[in-house]
Amino acid sequence: MKTLKKLSWKNILIILVGLFVLIYPLVGANSYIKHLFILFFIWSVVAASGNLLNGYAGINSLGNIGFMAIGGYVSGILAKSLGISPWISIIIGGIVTCILVTIFLGLPALRLSGIYIALLTLIFADTLPSILTLTREITGGAMGLHEIPGFLPNMEKIHAYYICFVFFLIAMLIIYRTIHSRTGLAFMALRDSENFATTLGVNRFNERLKVFAISYFLTGLAGGFYVHSLGDISPSTLGIEPFLLGIAMIELGGIGTFAGPILGAAVIVFGGEFLRLAGTLRLSLLGLLICVIILFFPGGIMQLLSQSESFIRKQIKKRKPVEKVQPT
Amino acid sequence: MNSFLNAIISGLISGSLYAATALGLTIIYGVSRVFNFAHGIVAVMGAYLAWTLLSSGGQLNLLLGIVVSLGVMYIFGTLVYRFTINPLMKKPGWDISTVLFLLGGGILLENVLLQIYGPRIKSIPVLVDGSIKFGPIVIQWNDLLLIVIAVFGIVVLNMFFKHTRMGQAMRSTAQSMPGAKVVGIDIEKIFGLTFGLAFAVTGFSGVLLSTKYFLNPHIGWEWMVKGFVIVSFGGLGSTNGAIFPGLILGIVEALVTLYLGAMWVWPIWFAIFLIVLLIRPQGILGGRV
Amino acid sequence: MVNSGEVVALFGPNGHGKSTLLKTISGLHQASAGSIKFNGLEISSLPSHKIVEMGIAYIPEERHLFRDMTVMENLKMGAYNRRARPSTQQNLAFVLEVFPRLVERKDQLTSTLSGGESRMVAVARGLMSEPTLLMVDEPSIGLSPGMRHAVFDSITKINREKKITILIVEQEIRNALKLANRIYMLKKGHILFERSATEVNVEEIEKAYF
Repeated sequence: MKTLKKLSWKNILIILVGLFVLIYPLVGANSYIKHLFILFFIWSVVAASGNLLNGYAGINSLGNIGFMAIGGYVSGILAKSLGISPWISIIIGGIVTCILVTIFLGLPALRLSGIYIALLTLIFADTLPSILTLTREITGGAMGLHEIPGFLPNMEKIHAYYICFVFFLIAMLIIYRTIHSRTGLAFMALRDSENFATTLGVNRFNERLKVFAISYFLTGLAGGFYVHSLGDISPSTLGIEPFLLGIAMIELGGIGTFAGPILGAAVIVFGGEFLRLAGTLRLSLLGLLICVIILFFPGGIMQLLSQSESFIRKQIKKRKPVEKVQPT
Repeated sequence: MNSFLNAIISGLISGSLYAATALGLTIIYGVSRVFNFAHGIVAVMGAYLAWTLLSSGGQLNLLLGIVVSLGVMYIFGTLVYRFTINPLMKKPGWDISTVLFLLGGGILLENVLLQIYGPRIKSIPVLVDGSIKFGPIVIQWNDLLLIVIAVFGIVVLNMFFKHTRMGQAMRSTAQSMPGAKVVGIDIEKIFGLTFGLAFAVTGFSGVLLSTKYFLNPHIGWEWMVKGFVIVSFGGLGSTNGAIFPGLILGIVEALVTLYLGAMWVWPIWFAIFLIVLLIRPQGILGGRV
Repeated sequence: MVNSGEVVALFGPNGHGKSTLLKTISGLHQASAGSIKFNGLEISSLPSHKIVEMGIAYIPEERHLFRDMTVMENLKMGAYNRRARPSTQQNLAFVLEVFPRLVERKDQLTSTLSGGESRMVAVARGLMSEPTLLMVDEPSIGLSPGMRHAVFDSITKINREKKITILIVEQEIRNALKLANRIYMLKKGHILFERSATEVNVEEIEKAYF
């Protein structure tokens, strides 16, 4: 088989981890761990979509967490108040997020340069809590939405686990295919050298629109999966902490890489325990983490990994020649 | 009608304070093209420094507190530039890495301040008591004083930029960085100065805002976002361009609060921001320092 | 290599490194390899402001004037470096003599000037820094023939009266040849040949472009 030749240690690792994730709940993981995994799946998608925008397409969208909340709220409201099946409402949530954000943020962003996009998304995310309070009859205001129906009647954590896992896989597949498609090449070209790319015929407007659409659709979907798996959502989901966490995941993992956001989400979600222990120092640690990463490890974990990999390879090479230089 | 007029006056006052807050932001951006996402925290920090000296007792200490605040913030600004922004600017993608770094750093500082000072609101006492009446309009003496101080500060800044060597160097760098290099300006030194100056000014505006409103570590965000909106309205890089938009936005905010309720303030700010960016991303007044 | 008091012209097709060379000498670009010596001192790793301090002034093709400042303010900024500051008044008088057009424009914003006039301001501003070496990048580009003559005459005057060494990059071969002592031909980032200005003619240079 051709594929066997390409099996590096990396691929083997990924397969093993995948199998682990698949089997783990069946061999008796506790509820809390399943909960963490669900969070991990969802956050990975949000981080990866954010990375698609920021890292691959070079569009500095900061408020992604807010968009996840839009998808979540829409889906939650539709399911709870109108009794629409979660499977459908999630998709509607995703589409609504996609359309809303593309209109309010995406289109203006097309005309603006980097910093304004960051500002726009930041202020938008800041405004959402007010909007939520204003529409409190529908959205539950500061109290939030509760008792949002799950995917199945009498759904248990383990069902949510697998459903989110599948969502995670599908979303990653979509992102992967996008990065490696013509569209992906197009917006990477736009990121690196916009003038050059446009002269080559890349349509800035179209390609950017596509990135926005895919990214925000997935983010909205993630929000939907979030509410139906966990049952609640409130404005605190939009707070400063999740906002920073979202940024930290992308930066920690390695911006502009495929595996980066996944790794980053894993570290933050599972390592979040330590953050909780720190209590009130939580946010300071987060801020410090972001500062340290940007100053000293701008490539995140992925950079560290590839640096260690080349370091190890050099060490191995150093030892080999000795065997060859044997007097005969 | 009364409440309308009072709202306008109130808006003018808060607007001029917001404009003062926006100055530091526009100075840094104008000269170095770095967007200070820690702007709010810098203002808050400056206010807390003044407050610390104040709470050791005595009215005179407020003046001392302000002086100390200005000095410390200036040094802090130059250090931040030298040790963090400068290295980041040498690598590609600095326009975003500085934003993220300042964001993270801002959060860090905010929580450090929270640890030191606690979440309860502090206030810096008014400098003068009492109010003056013009028919149906009531104006606090303190508010008038604040406007006078703010105006005075802006005038001093303008003079600095026009007549001092350092100020002219900053203006030149803002207008053309290659041009500044070509005439022999030490860009890194000027950037350091810029950050120092901007931090001092911002800290000072924080003190002013704290005499009128309240002070706690989290209020920085609100001040900062309003500063963002004002600065895009007036054109990034234009110190005088922040004044007029600041006043207008202050009035709009006061009127919105009066007639629609406080909850509408944020969405309206966002909507204004969006509209301005759509129509003229370089700001209504366009412009330079 | 450029000797004191000379006028050296650099010719070569576009994009082949002439501007980059000047920018690297002036400190606007960092050299990745090699060495640059000025008066025997190695300057390739110095920042731009130190290079101005040492007496090298660079007039970029894009001019890079301070657009919201007046002509006078631009000129005064030209004397920013420590060495040049004491002689600001004298230098002002000199540059206004070399470029009389600027006298009537001195309080106008540079954004309102014509192409030729802003080119003059750029050169004048460079002179204000009291350079011993003046590097000018395509001074005559985009100018009318009358303006071009004025600019070249000014350069000659600067060289003669102030004994300032000039390194000029030009596409206008004929005129540049008239004021140069020596010329270098640059192609693909390398020196193709070097000649004394009297030994070579326009056709030969033009041929070398292709």
